[in-house]
Amino acid sequence: MSEDGFRIITPSDLDDYRDRAGDIADAAWPVFMHHDPIANENWHELFDRFEAYQFAMLDTENDRMAAMGNSLPFQWTQALEELPEEGWDWVFLKAIEDHKNGIAPNIQSAIQIAILPDYQGQGLSVRMVRAMGAIGKSRGFKQLVAPVRPNQKSNYPLTGIDDYITWITDGGLPFDAWLRVHVRAGARIIKPCHGAMKIIGTRADWEQWSGLKFPQSGAYIVPGALTPMTMNIAKNEGLYIEPNVWMVHEL
Amino acid sequence: MKQDRFRVITPTGDIDYRNLVRGLTKIVWPEFMLHDQVANELWHELLDRFADYQLALYDTQNNRVAAMGNSFPMRWDDTLENLPETGWDWAFAEAVRNHREGISPNVHCAIQIIIHPDYQGQRLSAPIIESVRAVTASNRLPALIIPLRPSEKSKYPLISLDDYLTWTNEAGLPFDPWLRAHARLGARIVKACHESKIIRGTRVEWEAWTQMKFPQSGRYVIPGALVPIEMNVEKDEGVYVEPNVWIVHEVK
Repeated sequence: MSEDGFRIITPSDLDDYRDRAGDIADAAWPVFMHHDPIANENWHELFDRFEAYQFAMLDTENDRMAAMGNSLPFQWTQALEELPEEGWDWVFLKAIEDHKNGIAPNIQSAIQIAILPDYQGQGLSVRMVRAMGAIGKSRGFKQLVAPVRPNQKSNYPLTGIDDYITWITDGGLPFDAWLRVHVRAGARIIKPCHGAMKIIGTRADWEQWSGLKFPQSGAYIVPGALTPMTMNIAKNEGLYIEPNVWMVHEL
Repeated sequence: MKQDRFRVITPTGDIDYRNLVRGLTKIVWPEFMLHDQVANELWHELLDRFADYQLALYDTQNNRVAAMGNSFPMRWDDTLENLPETGWDWAFAEAVRNHREGISPNVHCAIQIIIHPDYQGQRLSAPIIESVRAVTASNRLPALIIPLRPSEKSKYPLISLDDYLTWTNEAGLPFDPWLRAHARLGARIVKACHESKIIRGTRVEWEAWTQMKFPQSGRYVIPGALVPIEMNVEKDEGVYVEPNVWIVHEVK
């Protein structure tokens, strides 16, 4: 598949696929986002168990990897409105459990769509969403769900996610740019998942991740975080609980 | 100090002064800080009434202004510990009133000491602070007081100013770099003034000032603000109440 200079590739197409995908993730996310223990312990499973659900967009003019998408299949037989509050962390583990136990999947979940900063604002995000859905569709799935990270929420860390997702533009689309991408690609919002990721670190970890100092316990605004991070000096622990938004694309 | 390169210029001593410092304030501050009503109504008074108290550091190599200090004399007969909570806005209005009424001053107050972004990190904070203190001494005033804006508090908008002021670095100096610059030159913290500047705007104004949106009432973290602003959509009013720190340089 090739159109206007971009080609969809899969992990087996490039020897250094995972390195190059890692470079995109490094550029796309704030440092602390690389310290979700569920992600770090299980990332290899995407390639070990679900390789067919991983893909990237290659710029054919200069051979650069411009964007990447990660997803996985799992089984969900309840209503989508019942999807868990633990969104991202939960779906990653659920897919692995299902696969281990030989439970047949019936639905696809997005894990990540990341675009190299040089390629942002060029309409690649909608194409990435569609390319991801095409994978699930080819497997006969009827739905692609996604615990979506509303990226501009980081500018509004004191606003509740339930309120934030009701914000719309003059055109009636979601205010948030990433939510808007999914809606433009045909998705609808199901509900927020308030504990989609839990990132825990010591005070020294958080100081290194954020460039800030945490001399006392309390709530702190960390650049790139969607809600405040809570530092507990006595426990030497900073806890960030990231809220995401469950969305669904009918395939 | 690089005295050969940087020269103190003043409105009375240098006819180009106004042109040279023009625009510096806008470069240094976040846009919303330029909408303090007290500042905007009274700014002209600095040159009209207190021209001898305004100065800038002029870079003779590049022929431009690198830093500026704005201050005035005023009267304060109570102890410094009783300086008002309304710090900056109060001091400016009070100094103008004192001058208008012919009340003789007994203290020097600085309301702005700024360094052009191109010159930050080049050790100009001590020279510009010392230049302002020299004005205190030359006017035979015993102290320089400042309702100071702690520059890095904006990274910690959810921490109360009173707590923030207790933070120190490993050397035992204030954590905040601007407070530290003053402490190194001998200043001491008097106390916080929690309502030093009050900035009000409509929702549309705040949106223009911040490039953000305020679809609902509530608290918002604004880039460059020391504490969150409070937006009231029903009243169509956003209010920012900036806390500052009263500090004092005793000048011998």
